[in-house]
Parts: sequence; C-alpha cells; structure tokens
Amino acid sequence: MIAILTLLDKRTRTGPEGGRLCAVAAEVTEQSGAGIALVSEGGELTSLCASNMVAQRLMDLEITVGEGPCVDASRSFGAIEEAELLSSQSSRWLAYSPSAGTAGARAVFGFPLCIGAICLGALSLYRDRPGPLTDAQASDAYLMASVVARAVLAMQAGAPRDMIADELVREATFDFAVHQAAGMVSIQGSMSVGDALVAVRAHAFATDCTSSALALRIVARDTCFDSGTREWRDAEGATPRQVA
Amino acid sequence: MARESLLVTTLVELADNLVDSFDVIDVLTVLSDRCVEALDVDAAGVMLASPGGELQFVASSSESMRVLELFQIQADEGPCVDCYKDGRAIVNHALTDPDARWPRFTPRAIAQGFRSVHCLPMRLRGRTIGALNLFRTEQGSLDDDDVVVAQGLADVATIAILQHRTSLDARLLNDQLSNALNSRIIIEQAKGRVSQSTGCDMDQAFRRLRTHARNHNLGLTDVARSVADGTLDSNMLDLVAETSKS
Repeated sequence: MIAILTLLDKRTRTGPEGGRLCAVAAEVTEQSGAGIALVSEGGELTSLCASNMVAQRLMDLEITVGEGPCVDASRSFGAIEEAELLSSQSSRWLAYSPSAGTAGARAVFGFPLCIGAICLGALSLYRDRPGPLTDAQASDAYLMASVVARAVLAMQAGAPRDMIADELVREATFDFAVHQAAGMVSIQGSMSVGDALVAVRAHAFATDCTSSALALRIVARDTCFDSGTREWRDAEGATPRQVA
Repeated sequence: MARESLLVTTLVELADNLVDSFDVIDVLTVLSDRCVEALDVDAAGVMLASPGGELQFVASSSESMRVLELFQIQADEGPCVDCYKDGRAIVNHALTDPDARWPRFTPRAIAQGFRSVHCLPMRLRGRTIGALNLFRTEQGSLDDDDVVVAQGLADVATIAILQHRTSLDARLLNDQLSNALNSRIIIEQAKGRVSQSTGCDMDQAFRRLRTHARNHNLGLTDVARSVADGTLDSNMLDLVAETSKS
C-alpha cells in the first residue's frame, strides 16, 4: 500500500490524475499496460484513462463491442482473468478477444472498483504475453483497484489536484462512519449511496475537514443534507431524534 | 445454558451456516456473539487481512461505535496486528496506560471500560488470515479452558471462510477475503440507510438487517445490498423481536 501511495505521490506533480493512476497500476502489477473505465448511472462504460496506445485501443474496443474484462468485473463485482486470450478454448468474448489480440494483448485482467454496494467501474490490465498473474501481482492488483476506487471518488468529489495522494493516505484505512454517513445522506437527499458518498467527500473538502470528522457529525445527527434546499445544514441545538 | 451444550449448539449453528452459499459476515457475527456467551468476555470481534496484508474489521458482538472504534484503530496497531504478524495467541494482556506497545489502542480501550484483551490467530495450514479479538471489562484472567474453546471457535470460523475452496489457492483466498471486506462496507452503507429511515441507532439497524435475512432465509450481505441500492425499502425490514439480545 505504502509503495503504491509513494509512487502515486511522486507522479502527483506531473500529468493529469487519470494517466498517472494507469501508469502506476501497470508499473505496480508488472503488466504491459492498464486502463480505467467508469460505469455511468445507466450501466454504460466510459474510458477514464489508459497508460499507453494499446491499453487505449483495448478500452475503446471494449466500449464499442460491450464486452470484455471491465464489463464483466464491474457487473460481477469480482476479478476477471483471461490468461490465454487467443486460445481456441477461450470463448468468453466472441467479439472482444480476437480484436484485442490484433491490438497486441495476449492476456487481460479486470478488477472491479467497488466501495460496498457502489461499483464505480473497473481497472483493466493487459500483457503482451499469455499467462496468469502471479499471486503477488494479483494481490497488488486488488490493492491498486482499491486505491483507484478511492482516487476516482476523490476526483468526483472535486478534491484539489495536488491533494488526492494525501487524501488517499488519510483515507487508507476502512472507516465505518463514512459509509454509515453515506447511507444516511442517501436517504436524506433521495440519492444513490454512491452520489451520497461523493457529496460527503465534497462537503468535507469544501469545509476543510476530514470526511471521517464530517461523517461522525452526520451519524450523530448534528449535520444533515437538506433535501429541500439541496444544501447542508447543522442541527439547531439538541438534535431532534425520532424513535422507531 | 451450560457451556457444553452452548458449544454444541454453536458448532451445529456454524456448521448449519456452511451449507451452500453462506454469508461470511453473518457466520463471523455468530462466532463473536457465541464467544461472549460461552466465554468470560464482554466483547468479541474478528479482523481479517486484506489482499494487501492490512487487517480490517469484519464482525463484532456489538455494532456500537465505541466498540467498532477499537477495531478501526487496529488497522494500524494493537493486539490483532501483533497476533496476526506472529501467528501466536496473546492471552490475558492487562491494559495499563501508558502503554509503549500500543500507545493509541490501549488508552481508547481503557476509556471504553476494558481491562484486558486477548487475541487468537485464525490460521489454517500455515497461513494466518486474521485474528479473533476478545475484551474483558473485569480484572482477572481467562482460564486455559476458555482459551482452548476460543481457539476452537476461531478454527471453525477459519475453516468456514476457506471451506468452499477445497484448495488454499492464494488467488481464490484473496477473492474471498476481498469480498468479505467489501461486504462489511455494504453493511455499513445499509445500516446508515436503515438508521436514517427508521430513526434507530446503528446497533438496532444491524440487528434489523440480520433478523430480516434470517427470517427470509437470505444472506446478510444480500439483504444489505438490496437496502443499499434501494431495491428493498428499509421500512419493510422485519422488526427485531423484543427478546432478542445482541
């Protein structure tokens, strides 16, 4: 984890966030290239970035034909591995596989970007030689997917460009309150839990506090999202609390 | 209930949960609850290692923030981290402040009223996947029998997690653990929605999710996901019977 964050921090100073994430993903997992696809509300994939031309072509191909490692990983919430893309036994993706081979890939992998019930998209990796990931590479890919998921969330919440790596370090550990708060805010604002999580993070950035601290106030019912005004407000005095 | 019969019931209950697709969080919550009932401890919880090797909380006998906080701190330091790293049990560790070994964990645990802590590794065939953590509010120690029982329960839970993979394939294990940890986040999101919709606290919210899953023979995580993504209205969850106890 620390190694990934250090790499990411080094590259924070250069290039846009997406490209940096993909480059780090490919480097950490020792693959030929990496791409990140995001899932829109309707379930459509869009490409966020790719680390090189081949990775970009694979991503475009996957979006065009509607099948491939990112599609499967984000739908199944699980890791996808196609270690022998051009093997005659491989019939997982009839349209994707041969074209991906032509583009230069021999093995492709997909890892979902999940945060609980939220699926933000998927991280895909490719290699120009066939064969499975080693256990260490697979571990690193899981870890990278979790870092990418957090980074994407920070970007969506409008984190300042040079702060994303810091944010990732601070948010590296699992925080109950943040996820409980996202659940509460989703009901308060009649929105999805994913949008609520982004709203919590964005409000934390805007008010210059950590999302953990804000989340604790939300869970304690001292702050809530007003569905009428679409704004945040603090409870007046003692928080009125209904009992079920 | 006498301890022997409680243990037999627990083993049957755990074994019963292992058929087909079981819910890891649910099984580990059962384990935590039964530790509190069968052993002389006041709180119990399980932490599992993520594919990156960091410990994360997955289940506890209490969903209250004051107990959950003690697990959250242990992502960085604490008895679970040491137990997991060494693969060895920590038994009857008296909590005294200041504590050079766990400077963040110990004062928080004392502030929550705990006087001693115990940690047992969850290990199978040489691989440690996490730790079972026990807390006592009283001075004094767990006796040897308690430790044997606790380790036995931890072993059953470990087998439970690994059981539907016949081999200890590292990749499948990673997948399994990563799913368990993500399930925990789904549950937190669902707890937030239930708490906001019905005005109950997080502990009650968890028990409603669990009661509903039990009553309808569904997985805890599946119910939580339906609540989190809005396909199941929190107000439609079954109520917890008055007599039930966390």
